Parts: sequence; structure tokens; C-alpha cells
Amino acid sequence: MNESENMTREVAAPVRDNAEVEAALNRRYEAGFVTDIESTSLPPGLNEDTVRQLSAIKQEPEWMTEWRLAAYRHWLTMPEPDWAKLEIAPIDYQSVSYYSAPKAGLKSLDEVDPKLLETYEKLGVPLHERAKLAGVAVDAVFDSVSVGTTFRKELAEAGVIFCSMSEAIREHGELVRQYLGSVVPTADNYFAALNSAVFSDGSFVFIPKGVRCPMELSTYFRINAMNTGQFERTLIVVEDDAYVSYLEGCTAPMRDENQLHAAVVELVAMERAQIKYSTVQNWYPGDENGVGGIYNFVTKRGDCRGADSKISWTQVETGSAVTWKYPSCVLRGDRSVGEFYSVALTHHRQQADTGTKMIHIGKGTKSKIVSKGISAGRGQNSYRGLVKIEKGADGARNYTQCDSLLIGKKCGAHTFPYMEVKNPTAIVEHEATTSKISDDQLFYCLSRGIGEEDAVSMIVDGFCKQVFRELPMEFAVEAKKLLEVSLEGAVG
Amino acid sequence: MHMLKIDNLHARVEGKEILKGLSLEIKPGEVHAIMGPNGAGKSTLGNVLSGREGYEVTAGSVLFNGRDLLALEPEERAAEGVFLAFQYPVEIPGVNNTYFLRAALNAQRKYRGEDELDSMRFLKLVREKLKIMQISDELLHRAVNEGFSGGEKKRNEIFQMAVLEPKLAILDETDSGLDIDALKQVAEGVNALRSPDRSFVVVTHYQRLLDYIEPDFVHVLAGGRIVESGDKSLALKLEEQGYAWLADAHPELAKAELAGERA
Amino acid sequence: MSETQAIRTPFVQAVLDSSGTADTSGIAWVDAARRDNLASFAATGLPEARNESWKYTSLRALSQRGFAPVDLKAARTVAVDVPVLPGVTGARMVFVDGVFRTDLSALEALPAGLTLQSLPDALAADPEPLRFALSARHRHQAADAFAHLNAALARDGVVVKVAAGAHVASPVHIVFISTQAGVAWHARAVVDVGQGAHVTLVEHHVGLSDVASLGTLFADYTLRDEAVLDLVLVQDASASATLIRRSHARVGARAVGTVHAVELGGALVRHELMAELVGEAGRFDSRGVFALKARQHVDTQMEVRHQARDTASDALWRGVADGRSRGVFRGAIVVAEGADGSDAALSNKNLLLSAQAEIDTKPELEIYADEVKAAHGATIGQLDERSLFYLRSRGIPLTQARSLLTLAFCRAALSSLPNEALREHLGDLLVAHLPTGPVDA
Repeated sequence: MNESENMTREVAAPVRDNAEVEAALNRRYEAGFVTDIESTSLPPGLNEDTVRQLSAIKQEPEWMTEWRLAAYRHWLTMPEPDWAKLEIAPIDYQSVSYYSAPKAGLKSLDEVDPKLLETYEKLGVPLHERAKLAGVAVDAVFDSVSVGTTFRKELAEAGVIFCSMSEAIREHGELVRQYLGSVVPTADNYFAALNSAVFSDGSFVFIPKGVRCPMELSTYFRINAMNTGQFERTLIVVEDDAYVSYLEGCTAPMRDENQLHAAVVELVAMERAQIKYSTVQNWYPGDENGVGGIYNFVTKRGDCRGADSKISWTQVETGSAVTWKYPSCVLRGDRSVGEFYSVALTHHRQQADTGTKMIHIGKGTKSKIVSKGISAGRGQNSYRGLVKIEKGADGARNYTQCDSLLIGKKCGAHTFPYMEVKNPTAIVEHEATTSKISDDQLFYCLSRGIGEEDAVSMIVDGFCKQVFRELPMEFAVEAKKLLEVSLEGAVG
Repeated sequence: MHMLKIDNLHARVEGKEILKGLSLEIKPGEVHAIMGPNGAGKSTLGNVLSGREGYEVTAGSVLFNGRDLLALEPEERAAEGVFLAFQYPVEIPGVNNTYFLRAALNAQRKYRGEDELDSMRFLKLVREKLKIMQISDELLHRAVNEGFSGGEKKRNEIFQMAVLEPKLAILDETDSGLDIDALKQVAEGVNALRSPDRSFVVVTHYQRLLDYIEPDFVHVLAGGRIVESGDKSLALKLEEQGYAWLADAHPELAKAELAGERA
Repeated sequence: MSETQAIRTPFVQAVLDSSGTADTSGIAWVDAARRDNLASFAATGLPEARNESWKYTSLRALSQRGFAPVDLKAARTVAVDVPVLPGVTGARMVFVDGVFRTDLSALEALPAGLTLQSLPDALAADPEPLRFALSARHRHQAADAFAHLNAALARDGVVVKVAAGAHVASPVHIVFISTQAGVAWHARAVVDVGQGAHVTLVEHHVGLSDVASLGTLFADYTLRDEAVLDLVLVQDASASATLIRRSHARVGARAVGTVHAVELGGALVRHELMAELVGEAGRFDSRGVFALKARQHVDTQMEVRHQARDTASDALWRGVADGRSRGVFRGAIVVAEGADGSDAALSNKNLLLSAQAEIDTKPELEIYADEVKAAHGATIGQLDERSLFYLRSRGIPLTQARSLLTLAFCRAALSSLPNEALREHLGDLLVAHLPTGPVDA
């Protein structure tokens, strides 16, 4: 990366000594290290054999293999989507390795390579039960496979199933078969079809009727191996009157090549069920010049199948070179509620095209969208959202607020909301603003002795408050820190 | 004969019972002040009487000059002579004040079987009433309440009352948000409209307004019912002692219901 | 694309059939441009639904219809009443089925500095000033089938020139009347408002009842520095007409363009309003309203591009849809890199009155500069319950209260129109069109 430019700036500030400068620079992408671990990978390339091989490695049942093949065949017929406001070099899907796993086979967490555990310690994700944060059960996915799920016993006692997707396909085949692809069909879109064909792992959550999941569940995704795509699949099913809060975090090493991440997340909420899904996405964003970084193409969708159910998405997107992501809610059940809270930050050459879809089908359904976009450097940040009120959605309500903050003259902030209303008793409201950090605000902070960068993070933090409030405490702290780090060098 | 007879009125808003057995009788020409802590149901009473949607009457009756008021649509109540001066008059962009008033007056006249006023007669009437309220012509050309100051909105309410000449006027916290000069102006307007066949219900949180609009009766509304009634000295007692003393007199009232005590 | 068009739709086939007999202008570059555009149109055909710009306006039914060329002789001779607009007292140009009618127009004693010509007259006199407008395909036209179609087939139209510094006091009335069923007419407008000049133009579309014709009108407005253009668009076409229009304005330094658009008639109507603020401190304001019923489909696409410093735009659009109608609105604000000091606002509010109607709206912001103020708001809903109650509490019956509020809602788009007589008349037209029925105002 181009350090000299930043060195000049830092050195110009005489109060800081060299050690501080070093520390500041190293802080830039803390998750950017590589774990030196032996791994087994499929050779790059994608064809029906790759799909079969992958399915075989994972010892999947026949139906799963066929499901994947059908998705693959459909994928071949689909064009890559080009409607997003993204400039992406053509992706060579044949140069990607579709499977990579740490070599040693795993039976339990005790057998996990200590290097791996160390990796997660460094990332602040404790897998060892003794050291873990109280009250958060973690499933860690390293490249293509789950390396361990914590708190299994406690969860099992509550009747909760929380395990890797591979295990779920083997152990809870009927449940998986019932729900997999029921929210995001294999042919839904280009990246969802690709994921359906080659997904390697992910998490499965099942909360039975009436159970309030006793702890927050969390998956931590890590891309380590080179030239590897990560294609995880998450399925969360929450039965009547049950509740779960689920957290998702992602990191990757710093590499000069772009790496592909195409995930699918499906949520199902039955009657009066509630799902709170929080993401802090910190994939490697590439360097200042746009070299490297993760291509993040994600399909996330929640189905409020039951009456009075609620699905709430909260995302803080600071990483990835390219983000293409629209966590959505299908509000099928009467009076069901969908929420989307988002902070998306693009700095340097990062590009994000993200937003949500709220599809109102049931009567009295409500949705709320709060999107905060921050653009700095040469970052391009687009909100793209659809609010659709179908004919039968009597009394449906939506409120959307969409604010953009620009830091610098070379960045862009864009808003593309679609509103489609077919019911005369619905009310849909959308408001959007674009502004920069005002000189008055900045000056006020400076005149009180607050440095420029601190002032900017304070103001940005304030700008994002509405979204951070929705995150669980530990995640909110993490998110705030991430924003600060991501914005370093954005002013001055 | 009573003009208004409210008997054991119960009403709910969003499923919550606000009025819990309110009774009140008003004769022509009387001025009744209704005071009470925040959340006692003061505004609810005005809204229920004028027929606002979302206010569900679950029990009790309201007779207005012998008619069942609750069975009427809002516009029918207005034509019968019930007028609500809103606490927060709504702004209606694009609807001209004069046009609005004439439409209202003529709709009411039509309902009562009277002939409608042409624009000449209407303007003459309006000019007369403007004088009473000390309101400038300019207000007539603007949209209803649009861009009005707090004081202008309240004066506009009283001005509308002057034009529509109701039998019963309910002033819902007409004093809120007004400085002393604006308050006096509004009170003068109201006093000018007092007459032996017109009654007033003055809903207020403060005694202050009653220095200018002298009531015949003062009622204290708490917990959704009228718990004390008296003459204007009751208002002064409230002014001195706040609502807390009610707790001693009415142990059945929960503390919370009196918590909205005046600041 | 061309391979996929191997099977020509009836629409395209009819265009090709009718253009076979097309005359030549005798001006080489004009004829070349027409040929190029025809070829481009034939290659692409009408836009399909997956074309983002046509997402909410399907042309499938239109593509299955073939329109005949206009019967020129009839158009030149048919007797029609020219509609009058109160307050529009200036010069008048009348087009019947896209053909200029001198006999119906009023071009005597034009005010100083104002030139009005039909397109053929202007070309015959001096084609050079029109070369840019008629041969250049500016950015927006590049991909659009209707722009090609219009450029290929428009033989008539209006050329307006206002000399620098001239102030034209009386509004100029430009009337398009459709009388022939089943035909397609295409007209072109080129308007040049000179430096510091002021002019008001009223573009007015009407049609004999039940004339299912297609009309296209592509208009270019150039506002030189400090020019002031007031443009009023009154679309009161026949209920079965298809009308595709584009108004494209280039706004120079300190120039001010203002548009008021009223969309009332038509079965399938599309209006693309585009403004480029190319000079410093230029301003472009737009106001518009559609009031739809039955099976009307009206699509307004508004796009303002801020390309220079300290430019301003303000847009206020209203829509009402009843019956089985569909109203579409896209309002885009683009602030280019370097256009610092830009101030852009857009408000779009809609009332949906029927369970069979639909409204689709898409307010967009695309911002590439940081010293900007940009905001938009959009709503789709019903009349405000509090306002309704307020009116009723004063004795106004529910239906009357509804009409009153609906009209007030629409009139917001006209309130800034300075021509009072015209404003009142357009208000009355809206009253007549509003689905809730007339209010005795």
C-alpha cells in the first residue's frame, strides 16, 4: 500500500512521535494478517464436476447434490446483473477456488489447530469456552468450513439448534430440506444461484416454538486462503413465539487480488416470531488505490411468514472493495414488521450499492428503513431500496429515511429509492438528504480543542447514532471503532 | 333546560380508557372551565364531543339540546352548533382561508335550512367579525393556518367561531403557547362573543386564562372524571395548592393520575 | 440487439412502411440525420420492460399496434376550433396532427425580438442554426428509440427565437390538435432564448374525443446567459391518445427556467423533462401535477443535472390516481463533480384514491460534489386525516372536504404560476378532471 503519502501527513503533525505514527498506520486494517496453516483446496475452476466433488467432500445426501446441480445449471443461463451503480472489472469465475479448508479434520473444538484459535483470538472472537464473551455462542467459518461452534450444550438444552450448515445437512436433513431455498430460491439472482451451487458452509439456526434463545448467536466469517471464494449459506428458522438475536462478523487478510464472497442468508419467522440480525462487515477493502479487496455479493432475505412476526436487519458495512447487498423483508403475515438499519462507509476506491426491499403483502404490515451512507476519498456509495405495497396490504405503512454524508470532493453519494404502491389505504414516506460535515460543526469542535480527525469521528458517530442504537452493545462499540479506523486520512 | 348533558361518559383512545364516567351539565349562557393535570382527559373530552375518529365511546351519553350528539357526524355536530377551538389548529396548504370559511358557513346554513350567503354578504359579515378579533384582512388571503404564528392560529380559531356563531364553543387549551398580550387578545375576542344563548367550555391547564375569561363554574378533571366542582375560587385554590391536594380528598385517584401537576 | 429484432413488431413495421414514402428536404445533412435515426430506430425497436427507464411503463401493447402516416391533405384543411386559454394572449402557432396551420395561427405583429417559424420555413430560410439541434444526438438521445423515431420522421414543428435582451410580454401559445385516429404525428421544437431575454411559452395538447393517435414532440430549449423562460405545459389530450414528449433545457449562467406542467388527458402519456444547468448560478424550477382516472397511464421523468457552480433547482410534483390508472414519476437530481454550491430540492407527493390504481415513484439523488445541499422527499398515501377532521368540525361535509383537500393538494403545483388568469383556468381544468368530482369554488 501507498504508505509514503500518509507518512508525509502524519510527520507534518509534530506532536506525534514515530511510534504513534507506526501504531496509527498499523491500525488501518487490523484483521489483515494471514494465518499460516495447511489447507486442502479444490483447484480453481467451476463445472458440474466441481459441484459434485464439493458435495462429495461434504458427504451430502443425494438431494443436496441434485439441488446444487440444478442451481449451477440455472446459473449458466443467467447474465451477471449490471443495474447496480458499480464499476467492477470482469470476474473470472474459473480462476476461483470453490473450496478451501484447514487440513486437519475436526471433530470438536479441542482438536482445532491452535493456530486457528489464535487467529480468532487476534480477531477478538474467542472460540474457547473459557475465554469467550459471556452469553454469545459463536460459529466460526474459516474459508469454506465451520471450525467450531461454542455453547452447544447450553443451546441444546433450550431446544435450540445452532450448528454449521454442513452438519445441519447431515444431522437435520429434513429441516434443512424444508426451508433451504424457500426464501431465496436458487434462481433468484445470479449470485444466489452461484451460491446455491457451491456454498461450502455457513450456519444453521432453529429456534422451536415459544423459545427465547437464551444467548445471542454469532457467526464469524474469515477468508484466509488465497484465490478462494467464500460462499456461505445461513438459514435461520424461528417458530411461533420464539426469538433470536444473531450477529455476523467478517474479515479477510490483505491481498492484492480481489476475492469473491457471495453469501446467501435466509430467515424465516413464523407467527409472532422475532429475528434480529446484525452484521458488522469488515472484509478487506483493498488499499488506497483500489488494489485488492473483497467483492461482496450478498443476498439476504427474511420472510415474515407468520402474523405479527418481526425481522430486523442492522448492518454496518465498512469493508469490501465492492458491496452489493440488499437485506430484505417479505412481509407476508398480517401486521408483520420489517426493519432495516444501515451504515455503509466507502473510503478510498470502495464502492457500495446497498439498501433493502420491503415487500408488503399482509394487512397492517409496517416497515422502517434508516440508511446512513458515508463517502470519503474516491468512494462511491449508493442506497438502492424498494418499498412495494401489494394490493391486499391494507393499512400498510413505510417510513424511509436516507441520509448521505460526503467527506471530500472526489467521492459520490447516491440514492435510488423505488416506491410502488397498489393499495389506497397504505402510506409510504421517503426522505433523503445529502450534505457534508458542516464547517460550523467542525469549527465548533476545533474551537473546543478537539482535533480534526476526532471531530470528524464524533460527527460521523452522531450521524450514525440511529443505526448504532440498534446493535447489541459489544457490536456497537466495535462498529464505532471500525468507522474511526476506516475514516483515517479522510480529512486534511 | 340543559344545552349539554354529558352522563357517565367513558371513552377510549388506542385501546386505553381515558374518560371513565364523566358527567357534566351546561345551561345556555354559562361558561364552564375544566381544569386538570396533564393526561386527565381534558383534550379527549373536546375531541369526543366534536366527533374525532379514533375516540371510541364505550359507555354513557351526550345530549345536545335534546339530541344524541354522539350519533352525529362531525360536520353535523358543527351545524348543530358545536364548535371546537383546537389546541393545535392544523395547517391546510392550498385551501384559502376565506373560501374555507364560506364553505363551512354555507354548509352549516344549508344543513339548517337557511339560505346560503353570496360572496358579497359573506364578505360583509367577515369584515364585521374581523374588527372584533382585531385581525387584518391579509389573513383572509392566506391558506388555512399556513405559516401562522401560534398566536395567529389561536386568534384565527376565535375568528372562525365569530363567523360561525356556534351555540356551544369548546376552547381546548386555547391559552397554551400564548404570551400575555396574545392571551388577552384571544380572551377579549371570546368575551365579545359571550351571550345569554351561547355557552362555553374552557379547557385549560392554567388558572391564568380564567383571569380574563371569567367562568361561572370550575371543574377539576382527574382520572377521566370530574372530581371537584365549584365556582371560580376553585381555580384559585388550584393555583395556590396545585393538584396534589386532590389526593387527600380523593384517595381513589392513583398518584400517577395527579402526577401531571402544574409545574 | 439487431439480431433480437429479427421479427419486427407491427409498430416498427408500420414506421418502416410509412417512411418509404418520406420526402426529402433537399438538405444533405438533414436527410442523412433522418436516415441514420430511422436505421437506429429500426435496429432497436421500442424499449422493453427490462430497460430501467421504462420499468413502469410497458410498451408491449403499443408495439403491437401500427400507426398510419397522417393524411396531410386532411390535416391541412380540416376545420377545427382552436382552444383558447385565458391569460394566453400572445402569438399563436397551431399544429393539426403535427402539421403547421398558418390559417389557424396568429403571427401578425410579433413583438420586437420574437421570431416564430414552422420547421420547414426555418429550414428553407437558413438551416445552419438548426444543425446542432437536428443532427447532434445528445447524450440522452443516444439510447432512446423515441428520440430516433421523432428525429427520423418529424417534418414539421416550431422554431422560436428570442433576440438577446428582448422581453416578450404576452405568452406565446403553441397548440397541438389531434384529429385523425390511428395515425402517428411527429413534431420538433427548437427554442432559443437569447441572452437576457424573457419569454413565456405555453405548449398545449388537445384532441378530438376518442382519437387514438400517437404523437411525439421533442423540444430543445436553450437559455442563454441571464435568459428567463417560463414554460407551461398543458396536456389535455384525447382520452385514447398516446403522447410521448421530451423537453430538454440547457440553462446558461444566471438564467432561470421554470416549468409548470399539468397532465390531464391521454391514455398512455410519457413526458421526459430534462434540464442541464451548464452556466454558473443558473436556476431551474419545475412544478407539475397529474390527475388520472379510468385506465390512464401517465409517466413523468424529470432529471436535473447541475453541472456548474452555484446552480439551483427546486421541483414540486403532485399526483392523484383514481380508477384503474397508473401514475409514474421519476425525479432525478444529479450534481456533477465541481458543481459546488449547488442547491437542489425535490418534493413528490401522491394520492392514491382507488384500490385498482397504482403509483410508482422514484426520487433519485446522484451527488459527486461535497459543497452541496440536496434533499428529496416523496410520499404516497391519502388525504391527511387531521385536515379532513378540521374541515368537518367546521361543518363541511365529508365528500366536499375531500374534494377541497384534493384540489388544494393539486393546486400546490400551480401556486407559483404568475399568470393569474391561466392559473385559475388550469385550476378549473383540474377540478373538472379530479375523480372526486367538482367543487363549487
